[in-house]
Amino acid sequence: MRRYPRWPIHLALLAASFIMLVPFYWVLKTSVSGENIFSYPPNIIPRDPNPFYYVDVWYAIPFARFFLNSVVVSTMTVVANVVLNAMAGYSLTQNFFGKNMVMMLFLSCMMIPFQATIIPAYLITGKLGLLDSYLGLALPMFSTIICIFVFKASFDAVPRSLIDAARIDGLSEWRIIWKIMMPLAKGAIATNVILAFIWSWNNFMWPLISTRSIDMQTLPLGLARFLSYQEDTTGALYAFCIMVLAPSLLLFLLAQKEFVQGLTSGATKG
Amino acid sequence: MTDSDEDFTRPKWPRLLSNRFVVVPALLLVLTAGWNAWVVTHDHGIVAGRVLDASGTPVEGAEVKLWVFNFTTFVVKATTTSRPDGSFEFANNPSHNIQVSAEKPGKGRSARVAIRLYFASEDFVLKDPLRLTDGT
Repeated sequence: MRRYPRWPIHLALLAASFIMLVPFYWVLKTSVSGENIFSYPPNIIPRDPNPFYYVDVWYAIPFARFFLNSVVVSTMTVVANVVLNAMAGYSLTQNFFGKNMVMMLFLSCMMIPFQATIIPAYLITGKLGLLDSYLGLALPMFSTIICIFVFKASFDAVPRSLIDAARIDGLSEWRIIWKIMMPLAKGAIATNVILAFIWSWNNFMWPLISTRSIDMQTLPLGLARFLSYQEDTTGALYAFCIMVLAPSLLLFLLAQKEFVQGLTSGATKG
Repeated sequence: MTDSDEDFTRPKWPRLLSNRFVVVPALLLVLTAGWNAWVVTHDHGIVAGRVLDASGTPVEGAEVKLWVFNFTTFVVKATTTSRPDGSFEFANNPSHNIQVSAEKPGKGRSARVAIRLYFASEDFVLKDPLRLTDGT
């Protein structure tokens, strides 16, 4: 079999990576140099790099409090997503009356944008007395349909014989999910963790509506507050972006293997 | 050794502890704790330096001002007077973005020196003295 040279592919990938990484580099560079984005000619290497724009951000708003709020809400969202989506995904691998109808309902619900459900979500959260609380902030993101299907695809790849054997051994459905299915669905768990984390971490609209006190605001709201405080925001704004981006970037880098596995699991049969 | 040849007699905890999901957060925790320890031991708000005249002689009795950034502009937060050897010291500086200037009638005034600190109230000693010029 003839082997084609690989360098053209590597070259193309390098070019694509470069195009995608340049904006990240520019944000990082501006965050340590404060260089005006309109300055010409632009400096590729930052001049007099310093960390003081990060210090400005830290003290301009209650960054630590906003960060803590984001971490708490994201953690609650991630845990709830993994548990609830796994349960829903497992149920969709079973045969029951109206299963196709439920699947159609899920798929059709995916077409409804979150903005359209904000008012009912607000009213329900208000009736539950959860406005301006961590639980209220996380509640609408406790389960996502896409992640349910990620779990379903992963569970579908598990041989039926394994589940049957577990049932014969006397395991309940709960224990089948947690003891048999979940250890075999690490990729799906990682995908759920990362997607739920990113969606929760970047969410702006829901925290804006459901929080009243400054103490309960999250980082995206902090960014808006920060922009209203500062006049010259070039360096500090970019530093803020890096500080908001860093945790999700770290999480992705830590779990990228599982993330890619989760996206591709169930893509092939057999 | 392949996965199927796993040695079950060995304890699992060393492998769990060397997991990247444990090592990276632990490293971050250590760095944060170290940084906080440094901050706690160096946040007395002391800003110190010296005042010299144009010929390099220490100036006694110069009025030294501490300016603190207040959203859009710098405002005077504290004032002190230089000692016989020209040294001065502010205590309880609350900010991370400050300026220092000195002035004495007959000797002149210094330029405002901008100081950026790594955290609010960080102890800081000016490397270059404040030089009074244009005293006439």
